[in-house]
Amino acid sequence: MLLLGVGFVDVLFGIFVLLGIERVTMTPGQPPGFSLDFIDWSHSLAASIFWSVLFGLAFVRRGRPVALWAGLAVFSHFILDFFMHPQDLALWPHATAHVGLGLWRLWPRGWWWFELAFIAVFGAIYVVRARRDRSFGGRPFAVCAVVLLLHLANSPWASGAR
Amino acid sequence: MTSTGFAVICLLSFLVPVPILAWLDRPRRTP
Repeated sequence: MLLLGVGFVDVLFGIFVLLGIERVTMTPGQPPGFSLDFIDWSHSLAASIFWSVLFGLAFVRRGRPVALWAGLAVFSHFILDFFMHPQDLALWPHATAHVGLGLWRLWPRGWWWFELAFIAVFGAIYVVRARRDRSFGGRPFAVCAVVLLLHLANSPWASGAR
Repeated sequence: MTSTGFAVICLLSFLVPVPILAWLDRPRRTP
């Protein structure tokens, strides 16, 4: 549930692009390799809050803490995207005001190490917590290995898009 | 790559790993 939550707005983005609701243009050779021309319905601040609440509500039957963390998992995507996206995150759909620190463009290759640092820190926290609390994380190092593999596949050196 | 291809890759790169990671995240059986 949390795994789907953190990537929920990107799943919506993929569906919305296929439906023609949102737009992306490929920009080979220019980091990050694509331009997110219109992503307001999946990625704007207001849309992120809306999807977070909706996703959280889907888990209300499992208790308030579960619903709260499910919603926060969805909204964490906006917080981390804020660092990476080059001012293409609208405050609400069709707003003129856009935000984003733009590390993808400021650090054409360095962004990958910045994200790796996040993975290292939170991967370490996951491993420690999984070993202490036996209710999850049966194979914590395998989980970290899969996440690292995905990050490697998304690197500027391996990905065709970048 | 086209924008459609990019959208499909974006979808698959999230939807494929989720069940794998969920399977690896399940608790170990205790005797």
